Amino acid sequence: MEAISHAGIVIGVLSKDGVVLAAEKKVTGKLLDMSGATGGSYGGSGEKIFLLNSNVISGVAGITADANSLVNYARQAAQRHLFSYNEDIPVELLAQRLCDLKQGYTQYGGLRPFGVSLLYAGYDPHYQFQLYHSDPSGNYSGWKATCIGANNGTATSLLKQDYKEDISVEDAIELVLKVMSKTMDSTTLGSEKLEFATLTLDASKQPKAKIYNPAEIDALLQKHGLGKKEEGDAAAPAPGDLTL
Amino acid sequence: MSRSYDRALTVFSPDGHLFQVEYALEAVRKGTCAVGVRGKDVVVLGVEKKSVLQLQDPRTVRKVAMLDDHVCLAFAGLTADGRVLIDKARIECQSHRLTVEDPVTVEYITRHIAGIQQKYTQSGGVRPFGVSTLLVGFDPNDTRPRLYQTEPGGIYSEWKANAIGRSSKTVREFLEKNHKDEMSREETIKLAVKSLLEVVQTGAKNIEITVMESYAKITTLDLAQIEAIVAEIEREKEAEAERKRSRLAATAAGQAAMSQAATGSGQ
Amino acid sequence: MDISFALTGKGYVIVAADTTAARSIVKMKVDEDKIKVLSPHLLMAFSGEPGDTVQFAEYIERNIRLYQIRNTYALRPPSAASWIRRALADSLRSRRPYSVNLLVGGYDTSTHTPHLYWVDYLGTMSEVPFAAHGYGAYFALSLLDRYHDPEASLEDGLATLRRCLDEVAKRLVVTPEKYKVKVVDKDGVREVEI
Repeated sequence: MEAISHAGIVIGVLSKDGVVLAAEKKVTGKLLDMSGATGGSYGGSGEKIFLLNSNVISGVAGITADANSLVNYARQAAQRHLFSYNEDIPVELLAQRLCDLKQGYTQYGGLRPFGVSLLYAGYDPHYQFQLYHSDPSGNYSGWKATCIGANNGTATSLLKQDYKEDISVEDAIELVLKVMSKTMDSTTLGSEKLEFATLTLDASKQPKAKIYNPAEIDALLQKHGLGKKEEGDAAAPAPGDLTL
Repeated sequence: MSRSYDRALTVFSPDGHLFQVEYALEAVRKGTCAVGVRGKDVVVLGVEKKSVLQLQDPRTVRKVAMLDDHVCLAFAGLTADGRVLIDKARIECQSHRLTVEDPVTVEYITRHIAGIQQKYTQSGGVRPFGVSTLLVGFDPNDTRPRLYQTEPGGIYSEWKANAIGRSSKTVREFLEKNHKDEMSREETIKLAVKSLLEVVQTGAKNIEITVMESYAKITTLDLAQIEAIVAEIEREKEAEAERKRSRLAATAAGQAAMSQAATGSGQ
Repeated sequence: MDISFALTGKGYVIVAADTTAARSIVKMKVDEDKIKVLSPHLLMAFSGEPGDTVQFAEYIERNIRLYQIRNTYALRPPSAASWIRRALADSLRSRRPYSVNLLVGGYDTSTHTPHLYWVDYLGTMSEVPFAAHGYGAYFALSLLDRYHDPEASLEDGLATLRRCLDEVAKRLVVTPEKYKVKVVDKDGVREVEI
């Protein structure tokens, strides 16, 4: 639990037509190679937001190494479900699978519990868009908007203040960025400190996860007037869209 | 997973206690309160719900779980442990149907759950389940309502009415005082709500009531219904207090009159 | 010797199966129910090796029910059918495979569409507008090719089924005398007389 309260914050907001996740990256540095960050994999510097299945993305807070192993487990669980039922795993079921594992680690001896909290943002035909939170003990619950990690108290009260029922995904993005800019330690937001992802439906009503790459994040921040001021050459690389 | 004996094993203390089990009971005592009350041909399960936070999805906050068509379970203690235990019980319910073609009896599934809980107090490398459970239901081809309880140690017992979780002692004492045999549906529900109100100060919105009237006939009361019952109880309390006050006033007046008469005659 | 039919229509699936339990050339029973109700909106007609059918159907029934109790909602027909097919395919590759053929019909309450799946003991599965297993298939499929209409009302659907049953009664050497017919639609499952 202690490990989580020091981790970079992760915010999730649910809307009628999509779910938004944003995370604060702690590991930064001038020489860190960000080119592999697309796709939310272990490689590159995708540190906080991962794609668990084509219909679920997650943000993690806590011990990164533990998180990687949980993400791996979740991906396998999702594929097992696909193998058995030929459908995308329902979001709550995936959260349950992970929680059963986490609960097991608190009950069986010789192993320490996972020091990770997760947010799951997903879509399934049963309950449409959903947002769940799970903690190291194996508890989980569903939310309209929530956050984990450092400063989560401040962020929660901000979310409570500004969250409206029937919020649109565009407004949700704006809300998340606003809360993020107010709770993060640094004065200016930038792609080196921020990870961002959305889950929406595409034209054929299939869930579409989009984990933003650094250039897209900077562009998004500019659009909402939260980014750094342009420093001469604005030759950003073409946004590489993660289409699923 | 490798198994060796040096892992956190539940062992006896010199004076014969199993501390891990007692710690588990402590976890139960911290959990939200749940009560079960049996009537003539109805059994009611009432639970204290933690307030759903403003941004939380109420659908995912569940304390009462169906194990099968005819058995319901409420638990107090660690939620994650409860979920795992419920899952094991649900599997057993279907497995029992598959092997002997009959639904489980309430006692059978209670014994099964208690058996699992017991196993976790004696095996190496595990800790006990931090939950107590209340099970209600009807046996197949039977009209008698059933109410059972299990504890982390693996003890199980049948009850007319009982409570587990936070302040369960207060609630149990209340139930002992007020429980009658052969209660009707309305009386039973009312007693369950009334006993919960002993510990739930915030009233109807933090109470959940599940009623089972016969085999596989389960209803969950909605907020309006519970509010109505709470209001009725409040009214009765009010009336009772009023009666007491007027009686007190009457006796006071009587005494005053008497003492006046006494002094009058003394003069 | 089992005969089963199923067809879809506008918002429903009809599943029919004969009710004869036979051993060798002897009829043991004529009121056997060979259609299981797996969930509020899912039916499964099973035929094949007598012991296998019941054993397999009960196994499926309990597992589908377990999923529903665990998750509070039932599996949707496509997912349930996939899982059932997987169970048969795994069984085929075991020491003693089940010899069971299935028709799985269901109504998907989230997309409001009827689904019908034809599954055989080899683990073959295909989604079809109508289907048949057993000797009935030889007579009924051509009729269904001619008369099946995916937009037909329930009455018309039952009339088409009636044609199939009549044809079987007319041409098959040994015909079952009775059928059980079940319908699944948005209101759930019910049995109908034919």
